[in-house]
Amino acid sequence: MLSKLSESILDKFSMDFLRNQVLKNAYGNDDTVIAVRDPRILLAWYLFFGLVPWFAHDTVFLLGCFVLVMITTVLAQVAGLVLFLFGLGVFSQTGVLLFTTFLFGGDASAIAPLLTLTLKVATVSLASVTVFSGLDPDRLSNGLMWYGCPERLSFSISYAYRMLPMLMEEFQNVLLSYRLRGNPPAHDNFTGKIKYLIYQVKIVIHAFYPLMLNTAKRSRTTVEALEIKGYRYAAVSRDVRRMKLASLKIGYDDLLFAAVSFLWVAVTVLISSMI
Amino acid sequence: MATLQSKQASQSQKLMVFVLTMSLYGLATLFTELIPKFQVGIVEFSVEYFLFIPLVLSILFDPLSAALGAATGELVFSEIMLGQFGGLGELEKFITVTIGVYIAGRLVRDPRNTKMVGIAAFVGTGAQLLMGTIVDICKVQFAVEDFEAVAGLPASVFATEGFAFLNDLLFSGILFCLLPTLFLVPKLYGKIEPLLGMQPRTKETALEGIGVKTAVGCGIAFLCAIAAEMLAESGFELIDWEAGWAESGTAVAVGMVVAAIAAIAVLLVMRKNAETAKVE
Repeated sequence: MLSKLSESILDKFSMDFLRNQVLKNAYGNDDTVIAVRDPRILLAWYLFFGLVPWFAHDTVFLLGCFVLVMITTVLAQVAGLVLFLFGLGVFSQTGVLLFTTFLFGGDASAIAPLLTLTLKVATVSLASVTVFSGLDPDRLSNGLMWYGCPERLSFSISYAYRMLPMLMEEFQNVLLSYRLRGNPPAHDNFTGKIKYLIYQVKIVIHAFYPLMLNTAKRSRTTVEALEIKGYRYAAVSRDVRRMKLASLKIGYDDLLFAAVSFLWVAVTVLISSMI
Repeated sequence: MATLQSKQASQSQKLMVFVLTMSLYGLATLFTELIPKFQVGIVEFSVEYFLFIPLVLSILFDPLSAALGAATGELVFSEIMLGQFGGLGELEKFITVTIGVYIAGRLVRDPRNTKMVGIAAFVGTGAQLLMGTIVDICKVQFAVEDFEAVAGLPASVFATEGFAFLNDLLFSGILFCLLPTLFLVPKLYGKIEPLLGMQPRTKETALEGIGVKTAVGCGIAFLCAIAAEMLAESGFELIDWEAGWAESGTAVAVGMVVAAIAAIAVLLVMRKNAETAKVE
């Protein structure tokens, strides 16, 4: 029974599963309420929910913010794996801190500030999940560019989203070919399992050798193609920037989104001031 | 041949190194982000450290481009693509990774010298981890209210962070940074450079060793990383949320609610008007 369970979990965590989750997260949901919002509004929105919770200590206010970003995360239809990682990250971090606090003679009084800390971390990360996971990569990089982020960054984002599927596939192929040719140690007992783990890690590191050479060739091609199109000139040209950003438009729905968020925050402030 | 002869990499070659490091390190960090870490107690055995990739590339190529590429790759692939962008914390990671990789790249004058490569890999990793630890301690101190007042918390933070630092340095640092770097640098040396149209780095073509200027630059960048965290504290005092609410909080809040409702109503009406105008 147990072995079956662990097998099915391991099945789920195959390379293909990871790839699918990442691709789904990047490309899968471009028709949600969040994805069609104007990136500039969303980034401003993120700036608020990414920064303010760090400075606020009011529990009601933090709870209100948390509920709001939770709703937006649901609206953005974020991939399951990302949410799972988020949960794992938040609770393992503060859980360990709590554990060691007890170890060093802390008592129950340590729980309250730690809960506040958890709430803060959770709010901030959910806000970022909403914005950076919910938005289309191209829209996101356009929005960042509008705010004056360096051209390098928005280029990197666009490039990453286009190259990632190819890179992942290539890495997987290299890894598989190493596995086909290799002879893994038997892993029935404990020492064998450790040997097997070391073998796996070794293969991953070895796999980077051909991958580095291949990627070097590819990045040269990419940069040469960019040079032909005059990328380095375009990166600093104002006219090109204006043309690129012309597609951004703020509609009434975007303003409504901002206004409803504002209303929510205002109501939480009202409630927390009345209590 | 002109580019082959020149001692320093040209602008487009720097861009190539940037793109190369970004894609490779980005891919690696993406996987490490996805693969759960397994913990034995508070000892963390993570395969987190793929830092050997930018280390190798910074030793072979232009250090600054490789360092910036690595930091950008991590930011874009694993943070932004997975939606795990953490705001201020990412700035700190960006700067520490850049400094660590850059230092390692500048230390090596001749990649064929294995001893120096090993030292550089270890120093680079150590520098990155140490800076991360310092910033982490600061972060918890500012985020938790009345930090000193909570019994046991300060000691525990120092202990966990210090322990995590040693654990990372000895476990990940040696296994995943030092050994792979020592394995890959001699193997790639002389093979990967021609693919980018460059000549391998030798003693003559290497950049100067780490001088005062570099050290000062790294110091300033690290101060920026801490300043990002310090901003939290000073910002908190500047804005002073709770004091503001305590006095005339309710009135301000009511005003905010009314303004928000009014804004929503106006927007709804405007949207409806726009829609009817479109139909007509």
